[in-house]
Amino acid sequence: MNSRLEWKVVLGAVIVLTVIIAALAKEGERRRAAAFLLAWMLPGAGHVFLGRWKKGLSLLALMGATYLFGAWIVGFRAVSFDDNPFYYVGQYGSGATFLLAQILGVEKAYPRQENPGWFDPGLLYVCVVGLLNLVLMINTLDLKLAPAPAAVPAATVAAPAPGAAPNPAPPSGPPPAPGTTA
Amino acid sequence: MKGLSYLFLYVPIVLVILTVLETCRSDDPVKILKRSFANFGVLTAVLIGGGAVVYLINRFL
Repeated sequence: MNSRLEWKVVLGAVIVLTVIIAALAKEGERRRAAAFLLAWMLPGAGHVFLGRWKKGLSLLALMGATYLFGAWIVGFRAVSFDDNPFYYVGQYGSGATFLLAQILGVEKAYPRQENPGWFDPGLLYVCVVGLLNLVLMINTLDLKLAPAPAAVPAATVAAPAPGAAPNPAPPSGPPPAPGTTA
Repeated sequence: MKGLSYLFLYVPIVLVILTVLETCRSDDPVKILKRSFANFGVLTAVLIGGGAVVYLINRFL
């Protein structure tokens, strides 16, 4: 498939999904849609956006290390369609890996001289990062959001009637025991 | 043995997958690591057991 057309199709699909999620989300939970889009662009970014920055950065480090290890095995080349069509599509799970695949994918991946048997697992490592990112994207839709600051409704704070005696302050705590000094 | 060295790549990738899946379930890092390693042990035991059964069947039956 043409590389420019792939970009448009994948990006269009993610944006359409984001719009659908925003439309279906409840009022006040629409930022989940933005987190969903960010999570696709960079693993863990959605969690960071929703305030789970420790978890998001840990996930980014974990996925980044996995991707780099896989890329190192296959000579810093992305998975091409000829290598394995399934692994190739798996890269689309993350915008970062997809972008790197478009940049690095000019040349075909090749097995390292010292460990030619590692070639296929290396392609798997690169692909798994994209597939695991799909799980993280779905997880952003399931995270508990921090509660928004609640405004005090005006109706619950009743103004005292003019001329009315003020209420005595309620006693705080139990009455002092006999024989004790204050 | 060098030809089979790619089998060692099974360990990190499975640990990464299990850790990410556990991270989605829990917020406690200690719990995440404990459960990941426990699941890894079970998965590996099942894999080795299944491999042994298949080997024995092919060898003796």
